[in-house]
Amino acid sequence: MVEVQEKKVGIISCSGEECVEGTMSRVATRLVLGKLKPNETVTICLPLFLAGGREERDFARDYPTITVDGCDRMCAKTATERYSGKPASSIVVTDILKNWQCPRLGTRRKLNDETLTVTRKVADRIAEEVDEVLRHWV
Amino acid sequence: MSEYFTTTYDKFELRVRKGFYYTKDDLWVSVENGKAKVGVSDYLQKTSGDVAFVEVAKPGSTVEKGQELGTMESAKTTVALLSPMSGELEDTNSKLIGKPELVNSDPYGEGWLVVIAPRNLDDDRTSLLSADDYYKLMLEKLQSGHDKLESR
Amino acid sequence: MKMDSPNQKKVIVIPCSGIGKAFGSIARDATYEVTENLRRDGTQTLCLALLVSGDEESLQLVRNHKCITVDGCPLQCAEKNVKLAGGDLAGSVRVVDVYKENRHLKPRGVTFLDPDGQQMALALAEKIAKQVDNLVVGQ
Repeated sequence: MVEVQEKKVGIISCSGEECVEGTMSRVATRLVLGKLKPNETVTICLPLFLAGGREERDFARDYPTITVDGCDRMCAKTATERYSGKPASSIVVTDILKNWQCPRLGTRRKLNDETLTVTRKVADRIAEEVDEVLRHWV
Repeated sequence: MSEYFTTTYDKFELRVRKGFYYTKDDLWVSVENGKAKVGVSDYLQKTSGDVAFVEVAKPGSTVEKGQELGTMESAKTTVALLSPMSGELEDTNSKLIGKPELVNSDPYGEGWLVVIAPRNLDDDRTSLLSADDYYKLMLEKLQSGHDKLESR
Repeated sequence: MKMDSPNQKKVIVIPCSGIGKAFGSIARDATYEVTENLRRDGTQTLCLALLVSGDEESLQLVRNHKCITVDGCPLQCAEKNVKLAGGDLAGSVRVVDVYKENRHLKPRGVTFLDPDGQQMALALAEKIAKQVDNLVVGQ
């Protein structure tokens, strides 16, 4: 039977309820999935992944993944390594922000315009990683 | 030997139950003792999202092939369920009133919709797809990217 | 993490935050509405992933406080994960059940909630707040 699978990268974002960087992680990931790299990426739902979701874990085991974490506790990276394998790339939002001159970040519930602008830059960074992972795909 | 034809699209595994018939609108039909049990395919439940309501005609109603026998509703979409056969609606799955998510979790089993006592089983069956042909149709739909799949 | 007030333990509200569906975003927003607005003194939230990664502070929190999980879909990932962590699961809410009571709302936005999504989040938040109140009365 014909398979329809192509080369795709799984993006796993932390759930990040406790801090604004967690929300940024989530929104940046969604921007990559929905706008920047819709044909090259697949969303892996972290809560479902953690709860044993077979499709999520199998995909993360068989395809390259990029984890996106809000903070250095790196829940998405830890979970991916534990249940499926080392991600091809890991991004930590707080680490990226340290290297940029960012305005004061807003609230975790609703990103203000300035935080959203920074979030879009994070999304661009993730998209670059997607290209890099695909370039090295054997 | 597996009971299903299976393919993977992105992270989703999609299954087509062997031995059933199918409509082009993604319903399955299982014929037993001259009666036709009807449900939705794995592809349809995955593209519809989390089913919240299933509403079908009452037992005893007459249904006509190609006409609406009910609807299936999620927050994402409302799907008209077109009858694959003409006949009398003999039974409906009352479990779906309290647990419509059975359509998502077990589309070929506990998530069945209705049972029809067909008026012309042999005639109506000729216009249905075999599992093999429906599987090919499903692959075409996946490649066209027309419908977006959702996690279960 | 926030400290409990002297006489009353906080209720921990934990959303699934599922990223693939609007209901996941609604669960998350409703949790913020409860913990930052409706019951801000009596509740707090927690990153679900911290439980599974074995963060000791988070594990102690859910084991020593009453928890309410907020799940976007019938898979109930938040409830499952809190149970697995040995949390004191005192209540659970599903967004899909709120949708059934508000059938006219058709939320589409996942990244950002659209007006229907915002309305559903508010309805869900009220439901969670009621469960919080029941737990507080029982304490």
